[in-house]
Amino acid sequence: MIMLGTNFRLHNKRLRAPLFLILIALVALAACTGGGAVDEVPPQVTEVPTEEVVTQPEVSEPEQAEEPSSTERSGVLRVAMQPIVNIDPISISSDSEVLVANHVYDYLVDIDPANNPVPRLATSWEISDDGLTYVFQLAEGVTWHDGSPFTAEDVVWTFDRLRNTEGTPTADLYENIDSIEATGDLEVTFHLKQTNPFFLYDLSDNHALVLKAGTTDADTNFNGTGPFKVVNYSPEDRIEMVANENYFVPGLPKLAGLEIIFFNDQTAAVEALRSGQVDLVMRMSTSLFESLQGEPGINTIEIPTNGFDVIRLRSDRAPGNDPRVIQAFKLATDREAIFQLVQQGHGAVGRDTPIGPLYQAFYTDEFNVPERDPEAARALLAEAGYPDGLDMVLHTPDTGGRPDLAAVLKEQWAEAGINVEISVEPESVYYGEDGWLEVDLGITGWGSRPYPQFYLDVMLVSGAKWNESHFSDEEFDRLAAIAGTTLDEQERIEAYHEIQRILIERGPIIVPYFFAQFGAISNQFDGLELKAFAGRTDFRTVTFSGS
Amino acid sequence: MTTEISQETILSRTSWLKRLTNGLRILYASPATAVGTTIFILFVLMALFGPMLAPYGFNEQIYTDARQPPSPTHWFGTDNLGRDVFSRVVLGARDILRLSGLGTILAVISGTTFGLVSGYWGGLFDEILMRIFDSLLAMPALLLALLLLGTLGPSENSVLVVILIVYTPIVARVVRSVVLSVKTRAFVEAARLQGESLGRILFREILPSVLPALTVEAALRFSYAIFLVASLGFLGVGVQPPNPNWGLMVSEARQNVSQLPWALYFPAGAIAVVVIGVNLMADGLKRILQAGD
Repeated sequence: MIMLGTNFRLHNKRLRAPLFLILIALVALAACTGGGAVDEVPPQVTEVPTEEVVTQPEVSEPEQAEEPSSTERSGVLRVAMQPIVNIDPISISSDSEVLVANHVYDYLVDIDPANNPVPRLATSWEISDDGLTYVFQLAEGVTWHDGSPFTAEDVVWTFDRLRNTEGTPTADLYENIDSIEATGDLEVTFHLKQTNPFFLYDLSDNHALVLKAGTTDADTNFNGTGPFKVVNYSPEDRIEMVANENYFVPGLPKLAGLEIIFFNDQTAAVEALRSGQVDLVMRMSTSLFESLQGEPGINTIEIPTNGFDVIRLRSDRAPGNDPRVIQAFKLATDREAIFQLVQQGHGAVGRDTPIGPLYQAFYTDEFNVPERDPEAARALLAEAGYPDGLDMVLHTPDTGGRPDLAAVLKEQWAEAGINVEISVEPESVYYGEDGWLEVDLGITGWGSRPYPQFYLDVMLVSGAKWNESHFSDEEFDRLAAIAGTTLDEQERIEAYHEIQRILIERGPIIVPYFFAQFGAISNQFDGLELKAFAGRTDFRTVTFSGS
Repeated sequence: MTTEISQETILSRTSWLKRLTNGLRILYASPATAVGTTIFILFVLMALFGPMLAPYGFNEQIYTDARQPPSPTHWFGTDNLGRDVFSRVVLGARDILRLSGLGTILAVISGTTFGLVSGYWGGLFDEILMRIFDSLLAMPALLLALLLLGTLGPSENSVLVVILIVYTPIVARVVRSVVLSVKTRAFVEAARLQGESLGRILFREILPSVLPALTVEAALRFSYAIFLVASLGFLGVGVQPPNPNWGLMVSEARQNVSQLPWALYFPAGAIAVVVIGVNLMADGLKRILQAGD
C-alpha cells in the first residue's frame, strides 16, 4: 500500500552528503587564505607624508652604489603578488600594480623605509622661504626604455596630466598646485597656491610615476625610465622584466631580472615559496607567516606599520552622542588582550589614536588610556540612561583579523553590559553605498600612511569625507588645521600631542592595535627592505647571493 | 460509526506496532543502521545537555590558553582566540540540530500540505504548483539558499526560511506521488461519498498512507538540512560569529590550519559524523518501512 514515490533517489543522495563533506574538507585545507591585514584601506586613498619636510635642503643621492660594476648583475627575483588589472600609473591602486609601476617607472621623489623623502629622478630641491615655490634639479643621463632622453618637459606633462584628469584621486591631491614649469632642460619649478608642509610626500603619491611627455598608450605599453624593462606580460599569469642596462643610477639594479608571478591565493603563494617556485611573498596572514618561521632556506621579515583597525561609535546620535557611553566603551575594552589574541603580538598595541609610535616626535605616551574596568563602564552606562546595558549591532568586514576582533570585543564588552550582535559582511557590502558611514558601531581597517595628517583630515575632522564616527569637536578641528598648515615643526608636534589627548579622552574611536607587515624571502637574496605598503618596496638594491 | 473509526485506529496502531517490531529487528540485524541511530541519539543528547557537558562557554576566551593543542584540560585544544574547541563543538550541536530540525519540520508540514492538496485536487492548481516547484528544484539547493540569504540578510530566521523554501518542493512531490496512487482507492471514494470534509479526507484518510514515505523523506531532509546549515555557516552567510556553528568554525579555523589543525578537524569531524549517522538511520528507516509494507 505504501507507494514509495518515484523521487526516491535514495542511493545517490545518500552518497552525496559525504562527498560534499570531503569537498568542504578539501576546500578548507587548500584555501586557507587569511585576507592580508595591512592595506584594505577604504576607497582610493592618496599617499601622504612625514616629518622634516620644510627644511630639507639639498639632499645628496643616497642609493648610489660606489662600485662601478654594471656588469655584475645576476639572479632573477620571482615575486608572488596578486594579479594586476591596471597598468597606467594614473589608475593603479593595488600593491601589485604599484609594485610593477615602481620598477618600470621612477618617482620624482621617493620615500625611504624610515618615511623620509629621498631623491629619485629629482636629485635635489630647493624650497622658497614662503613655502610656495619648489625647484627640482633632475638627474642627468636618464633615458626612456625606447632610447629617447628624459627632460623636464616629461615631468611637467606628467604632473599636468595627474592634476587635470577629472575623477582621479590625484586631481584632488594636486588641486593646490598653481602651475608647473620647466625652468631648464633638467629643472622643474612647482608653484603652490597655499603652503603645504607635506608637498614632497604628495609628489611621491603612488600614482605620481613620471611618464614620457605625450604618452597615449600607458595602459598597454611600458615605456619608463625605471630600473627594469618589461619583456613579457601575460595577464593573469606573470610579468617578466630584465635589468635596464642604461639605468641612470650607476650600479643599480643589482639583479639581472625581476618576475612578478600572479597568485590569487595567499596560501598558494606561500606554498610556492616553500617549494622554490617563487622567491618572495609580501602579504600573508599572521598564521601563514608564523608557519614560515624556521623554515630552512627562507628568511622572514617583519616590520611595524602605521596601519590599524578602528572600532568607531557614531557620535552624532544616541547612544554614541553621550560622552559617558563613549567612556563606557573605552573602559570595557582590553587593548593588550586584543593585540595578543588577534594579532598574536605582531605590530603594536594601540592607544585610541591613529598617531602611532612610528611617527616618533609626533607620538606621545604622556596621556594614558584608562585601565579596563567593566564595572565602571556599567555604572557609566546606567548613568547615561542604560541601566540594563546596551544592545547594538557590530558591523565588520570579513577580511583580515576583523571577525576575530569582533568576537573578542563581544566577549569583553558583555562583561560591561554592552551586548553586541556581530554582522560580518564582505568588504563590498561593508563599504558599498557608504553603509559603513551610516552604521552606529563598526570596525574599519586603515592602511599605513607615512604621515598622520591624512587620517585626521579624512576620518576625524568635522564633516570629513570618511568621518565614519561623525566626530565633531571644535578644539580638535582647530588643532588639526594648525598641524596641517603650519611651517613651524614644533607647533605641529604640540598640536599632534594635544590631538592624542583629545582622542584618548573623548574620541568616539578605539584603536586596539597597529598592524605588522610581513615578508618572506628565499635566503639566496639579500638587501630587501620591506615597506609598510608592499607595493613601494624597492628591489633596486636587492642582490642575489645564491648559486 | 464511532466504533468503526476506533477500530480502524486500533488496526492501524497494531500494524504500526508490527512494523516497528519488524523495523527494530532489521535495525538490530543491520549494524550500519544501529550505528547510525546510536550516533543520532548521542548527538541529540549532546544538544539537550550540552551546557552541562561543556566545561567552558562558547565564546569564553581564556587569554592565557590561546592556541593550545589537545590536552587533558582542553580535550580538543583551543582556537586562536583561546576558546575551548571541545566546548564549542558540544554547544554547537544544539544550534545546528535545532535549526536543521526546526527547518525540516517546517518544510515537512508545508510540503505535506501542498502535496496533499495538489495531488488530491489535481487540475490546473496542481499543474501550476508543480511547475513552480520544478523551477525551484532546477536550482541547486546551495545556490538557491545563497540567493535567498542574499535577499533576506543573514540571521537564524533567514536560515529557517531557506530550509523551508528549499525542501518544501521535494517533500511536496514525494507526498503528491503517493496521494495520486491512493486517491482513487475505494476507501477514499467511500469517504467522499459519505460527505466527509476535504480536511478530513486529506488528513484522516490519505495522510496515513503517506506517512511511511514521509518519515523516510523527513529523515533524509533532516540530514541534508544539517549539511545545509553547516555549509551556509562555512560560507559565512548563515549564522554570525561567534556562534559555535560547526561550518562557521571550520571556516574560521581554516585560516590557521597550518598552526591549529585541531580547531578545524573537530568541527569538520562532527559534521561528518552526524550527517553520516542520520543518513544511516534514514536508510535503515526506509528498509524498515518497506519491510512493513
